[in-house]
Amino acid sequence: MIQLRDLHKSFGPVRALAGVTFDVADGRITGLLGPNGAGKTTALRILYGVLDPDRGSAAVDGVDLAGRRLEAQRRLGVLPHSHGLYPRLTAREHLRYFGRLHGGSGPALEARIEELAALLDMGEFLDRRTDGFSQGQKLKVALGKALVHDPRNVVLDEPTSGLDVAGTRAVRALLRRLRDDGRCILFSTHVMQEVSALCDRVVVIARGQVVAEGTPDDLRRSTGQESLEDAFVAAIGSEEGLG
Amino acid sequence: MRLDLLGVVFRKEVADNLRDRRAVAMALLFPLLGPVLLAVTFSVVARQARSAEERPLTLPVAGADRAPHLVQFLRGAGADVVAAPPDPEAAVRAGDRDLVLVVPPEFGARLREGRPAPVRLVIDESRQSARAAVERARAMLSAWSRQTGALRLMARGVNPAAAEALALETVDLSTPESRAGLLLSMLPYFLVVAVFVGGMYVAIDTTAGERERQTLEPLLLHPVPRESVALAKVAATALFATLALAETIVGFGLVPAALPLERLGFSIRLDPAMLLRTFVLFLPLLLLASALQVLVAVRARGFKAAQASLSFLMLVPALPSAVLALVPFKLRTWMMLIPSFGEQQLVLRLVRGEQVAPGLQALSMGSSALYALLLVAGAARLFRSERSMFGK
Repeated sequence: MIQLRDLHKSFGPVRALAGVTFDVADGRITGLLGPNGAGKTTALRILYGVLDPDRGSAAVDGVDLAGRRLEAQRRLGVLPHSHGLYPRLTAREHLRYFGRLHGGSGPALEARIEELAALLDMGEFLDRRTDGFSQGQKLKVALGKALVHDPRNVVLDEPTSGLDVAGTRAVRALLRRLRDDGRCILFSTHVMQEVSALCDRVVVIARGQVVAEGTPDDLRRSTGQESLEDAFVAAIGSEEGLG
Repeated sequence: MRLDLLGVVFRKEVADNLRDRRAVAMALLFPLLGPVLLAVTFSVVARQARSAEERPLTLPVAGADRAPHLVQFLRGAGADVVAAPPDPEAAVRAGDRDLVLVVPPEFGARLREGRPAPVRLVIDESRQSARAAVERARAMLSAWSRQTGALRLMARGVNPAAAEALALETVDLSTPESRAGLLLSMLPYFLVVAVFVGGMYVAIDTTAGERERQTLEPLLLHPVPRESVALAKVAATALFATLALAETIVGFGLVPAALPLERLGFSIRLDPAMLLRTFVLFLPLLLLASALQVLVAVRARGFKAAQASLSFLMLVPALPSAVLALVPFKLRTWMMLIPSFGEQQLVLRLVRGEQVAPGLQALSMGSSALYALLLVAGAARLFRSERSMFGK
């Protein structure tokens, strides 16, 4: 369970968030939808603890980021916006390193790495250095890193950007699986098909504020629009930055 | 602070950088430069000194028939008088001859009149290799001049000693150690360079490199205290620097073993006890350098920018010594408080075989350790700062 309360954040004169509040429930896939520059990434970066809000709070399973950052981070699995890899380490070494940073070790960790390799179909490149990996292979390693400690809450920043159809479908299947385990899934996107294909709930943000919230159907009904795309445009009040 | 997580990050940075050819080359190959340079310098100096003494002076003389007495004297003094080339100046300029003595036609007449008889020594003052030959030729000529002058005075019934107002005697106090020390004065700087260069790539790779690869944010969103991350990176940098320092010191220790320095007249102290003391002396400075490099590199935009900053940083420890090399000075206790300068001065004295008070060494090491801890704290603070980590 993730709770964001009245998040404010400015970078110099630029106001990125102006009071963002929403909850993300367990056993649901929640999409954070918004045009480019709406504040999606900033909200997520505050949530996973690399930015501090100017005002407001973020909590994971009731653990506040401001007071107990490490404990809250332990409960999160994150695919951040920029997910680079170490070119001289193998995929397995990546999973081991980040597993250890989450406190894992020994045979339990090695078994978890094998489990993830099977889940993400990494067998073929698990022991290769990541230098020269394809976009899809890189994303699998990054997803494996996010899931290595078996987190109850999973946060993904635009997980399918740059992926081909097969890759996108694989990621969607994975997110559904995680949801069916009862986990709390939050992902950001500016792609409309992603929302209709995946989300149980949608939070629309624009100009640093939540402008609409509910199931995709709720959203269509409340804006009186047939398609989700029209509903989205109606919700954010312009076509600016629509991707 | 979580030591277990610090260990996880440290081990990963070391394993990762051991796979980086540049990092390993910087840590393992570069430190050999100092010892190799020193060995080459020693053997070149030694060969020059030996050849200058042993080889007879070959002295081309133009117009030798005009000065038979002088030529006879020169031969007696050990010079091998040979015929001069037709154009002495061109020959010296081209480097075919080190020097040519020219006896002009008026030589005989002037000599008979008892007036100073002109001779010309054609040399190239800028040519180092000819210096010993030129010195010997000059000494022979002035010896003949004095001898002839003394004979003239005696012929006039004057004591030749009256013409000597000074009885100049030079007492050379340089010991073999201090003569070698002149050559060794570059040794301390090589140690400082090793301390900086050894970990340079690791410092860049684990900070600016991490930022450039977009792995910094993924790392910092993990439940690891930021100061543990900062310290792990300083520690990995320091480990590579330690390898480089140890290699440099062992390399210098092997120079006397590889060359017969004693026989060449150099006696320097590079025994294991002195080398170990030097190693220990440099450890606080090493930590200071590593923390400073991490501190600077983490603020850099990318790999290239960090590289430029750290290369410049390496020159800074050379400045105090370079300035003071031009101005004579006496070592004062407070100078031990200047990081890297204190260490360099102390090592210089150790190498020369001089006594170094333990108190001075403790002061130098203690002050460097204090600066190092401040810089480590500064690095940890930077890693906690949102603006320096993720500021745009």
